[in-house]
Amino acid sequence: MSAVATALRMRGISKTFPGVKALSNVNLTVDFGRVHAIVGENGAGKSTLMKVLSGTYLPTTGTTDIAGVEVRMRKPADAQRLGIRMVHQELNLVPDLTVAENVYLGRMPRKWGLADKAKMVRDAAAILDELGAAIDPKARLGDLSISQQQLVEIAKAYAAGPRIIVLDEPTSSLSEHETAALFRILRKMKQEGIAIVYISHRLKEVLEIADDVTILRDGSMIDTRPADGITAAEMIRLMVGREVTNVFPKTPSEIGAPVLKVAGLGDGYNFRDVSFEVRAGEILGLTGLVGAGRTELARAVFGMARVTEGRVEIGGKPVAINSPAAAVRAGIAYVPEDRKDDGIVPSLSVRENISLPVLRKLSRFGRVSMSADRKLAESYTKDFSIVPPDPERRISLLSGGNQQKAVISKWLSTNPSVLILDEPTRGVDVGAKAEIHRIIGELVAGGMAVVMISSELSEVLGVCDRVVVMRDGHASAPVERAALSEARIMALATGEEAA
Amino acid sequence: MTDVPIQMQQGTANERFRSGGPLFDLLSRGGLAIAILAVLIYGSLASPVFFTAGNFVNVLTSMAIVGIVVVGMTFVLVVGGLADLSVPATIACGAILSLALQPVIGPVPAFAAAIALAGFCGLMSGLLIGYVGINPIVATLGVGTIVLGIVQAAVGGVIVYGTNPDTAALVKSRLFGIPAIVLIFMAVAVVGHFALSRSYWGRWTIATGGNYAAAEASAVPVRAVKAGAFVITGLCAGLSGALLGLTLQSARPLVGTGYEFSAITAVVVGGVSIMGGFGSVPRAIAGLVFVQLLTNVMVLQGVRTPVQGFALGLLIAIAVALDVALRRRAGGAL
Repeated sequence: MSAVATALRMRGISKTFPGVKALSNVNLTVDFGRVHAIVGENGAGKSTLMKVLSGTYLPTTGTTDIAGVEVRMRKPADAQRLGIRMVHQELNLVPDLTVAENVYLGRMPRKWGLADKAKMVRDAAAILDELGAAIDPKARLGDLSISQQQLVEIAKAYAAGPRIIVLDEPTSSLSEHETAALFRILRKMKQEGIAIVYISHRLKEVLEIADDVTILRDGSMIDTRPADGITAAEMIRLMVGREVTNVFPKTPSEIGAPVLKVAGLGDGYNFRDVSFEVRAGEILGLTGLVGAGRTELARAVFGMARVTEGRVEIGGKPVAINSPAAAVRAGIAYVPEDRKDDGIVPSLSVRENISLPVLRKLSRFGRVSMSADRKLAESYTKDFSIVPPDPERRISLLSGGNQQKAVISKWLSTNPSVLILDEPTRGVDVGAKAEIHRIIGELVAGGMAVVMISSELSEVLGVCDRVVVMRDGHASAPVERAALSEARIMALATGEEAA
Repeated sequence: MTDVPIQMQQGTANERFRSGGPLFDLLSRGGLAIAILAVLIYGSLASPVFFTAGNFVNVLTSMAIVGIVVVGMTFVLVVGGLADLSVPATIACGAILSLALQPVIGPVPAFAAAIALAGFCGLMSGLLIGYVGINPIVATLGVGTIVLGIVQAAVGGVIVYGTNPDTAALVKSRLFGIPAIVLIFMAVAVVGHFALSRSYWGRWTIATGGNYAAAEASAVPVRAVKAGAFVITGLCAGLSGALLGLTLQSARPLVGTGYEFSAITAVVVGGVSIMGGFGSVPRAIAGLVFVQLLTNVMVLQGVRTPVQGFALGLLIAIAVALDVALRRRAGGAL
């Protein structure tokens, strides 16, 4: 492969679904040995474009050239044969197989017609080693952390010897530390001449890793530029078509008495001796590297996981929380990290999702009052400007940001005094993110206590009043807003003093 | 390459609910109505007996017994409980006890006791599935086998006969020409429909089947809801069995054999998802009506039994394939 040759040229790509034009006349050129970022809000057409590239969709019009040859891809296998590999946001791995088996899934090395396990493990070890990932190829995949699984997924794509690798939000489950490791891997692939298509909402990362940036908006290509000559603010302006002044506006609010107090809480495995308190009108940030025990802690406080030590107090009184129902009664609400797994019931409408935790209260003699149910959903749909403003719409048909707003609505319907938000803006677009921040701001202004778990440092710095940093299951003392800095948090998260 | 289908499977969990072109919606909603209409038209043309009140009353009567089970089975499928295979046992329990206990405690208490005991069997399955976490197929098969064994031992493996002809007359009586047994089925269907679609328990049932983890996180008592679906099926099968016993005025331990599959067929053909989270009682009953009419036409046309079985098997395969296809259909703008 020569260093400067065109790996991929897509010309005039349009894709129409019944009633929707998802892509219109998009051009994309990616060179070998370069990282080409694609940015745009949710619904801008990034996923559709990638599905065209991976052979999942046949474009309505337009042509695709791979290494200068026009190709027609009808199914994912066609794209794979041409050397295109996707690393999806949702991992496509089999948890019950080993790491090596996952890396060589469907392409196991053979010996006398049988799988050659020894060779497979050796080869997988070599690949993981080459990528600088310290993962045992014989480990069961399901036992790995999400970020390690992400690396296995990348190793799987890399092992196939691709010409083009497409990464869709690869850092959404990685901490900043792990992101740096991923970037080392990408730079190595780049040196080998692989063309990398990189989709991300995280503009800072895009600026760091990308050579070129293509901006999509509403299914159209707005511009392609070298990454050197563009700023994050400019990208946002091009993505939304307007200037967004402050990404993280902070509404001042009055801080009151402690609402939730966690004292010496531990589950004997993921987190130990964690203590902190949250006051009314305050946003407490909970950050740290992925795997530091933040989510496990939040789930335990909400009664979804057991604790072995310590106690939880609400309004000064100790409460025993052994189920989500008990947590709801105590006034705790939890917006989970994984919207698809724990947040929404996809087959139900927005209305039915919102009223789920309070359904009994809306019922008389076992029968749900439709008018009360509707009123509840309509008020939130309006207050949070959920799009489309139709509570009867199946929640799975909404965009990620709007689903998240519906999930937050669901929890507010329980009228909590403490709201725990786990990565509330992960995977949502810039506009929805600002809106979720606005909603959180309004809630604390109204006297709610909020715990926000986030891996995104700029978000933590921008939104939180105080921050607790977790490392290896232990929590730091809270850092006051005045003393907050990126370096301070990273130092606490990694245990290494920043130089 | 093998990793392609695996990728597709991984992404299927939510996708049934993501799309829905207007044509697809029409097909999934109206497809069954069209199919029923087609059978009606074909039947009327093909057989002079088919489109008569007498024949329809026959179809309804044979539908009623399995129909009551269908209502319960809908809850099991919607809650994500796969299937209740203890139905033959709970039907036998209802049929045998409602007859055997008559001389001991009188017909009405015997009727009630039969249903209650069948409900208790459902509770056993439900506890094993909801709280212990045993696979529903294994749990209901196990409970069913044990219950059937006990029932067989209790009656000595022989046929039990009715002792009170009045009860048979009551069950066979008609109101406005409609057999009482059909009216009971309709009442159960209406109650089941409102319970599933309008009560909080029904909404919990759908939510638990749609996304167990999310329902649990939303303070839904998922274990109880899951167990409840099997209690409901137990009660329904018990009622069904008791009515069957009174109608036949005799009951063997194997009286309920085959009802589980007839019920599952109807529910699945009705478009209730085998994966849970989606479905309604009217849909399941539409499936039942279709299957029953089709069987009726085949019987009237003199189609041989093995061929009938083949046709029904094919129908289940198509219904399940459609369910999977609907789930797979990603699409629309993302």
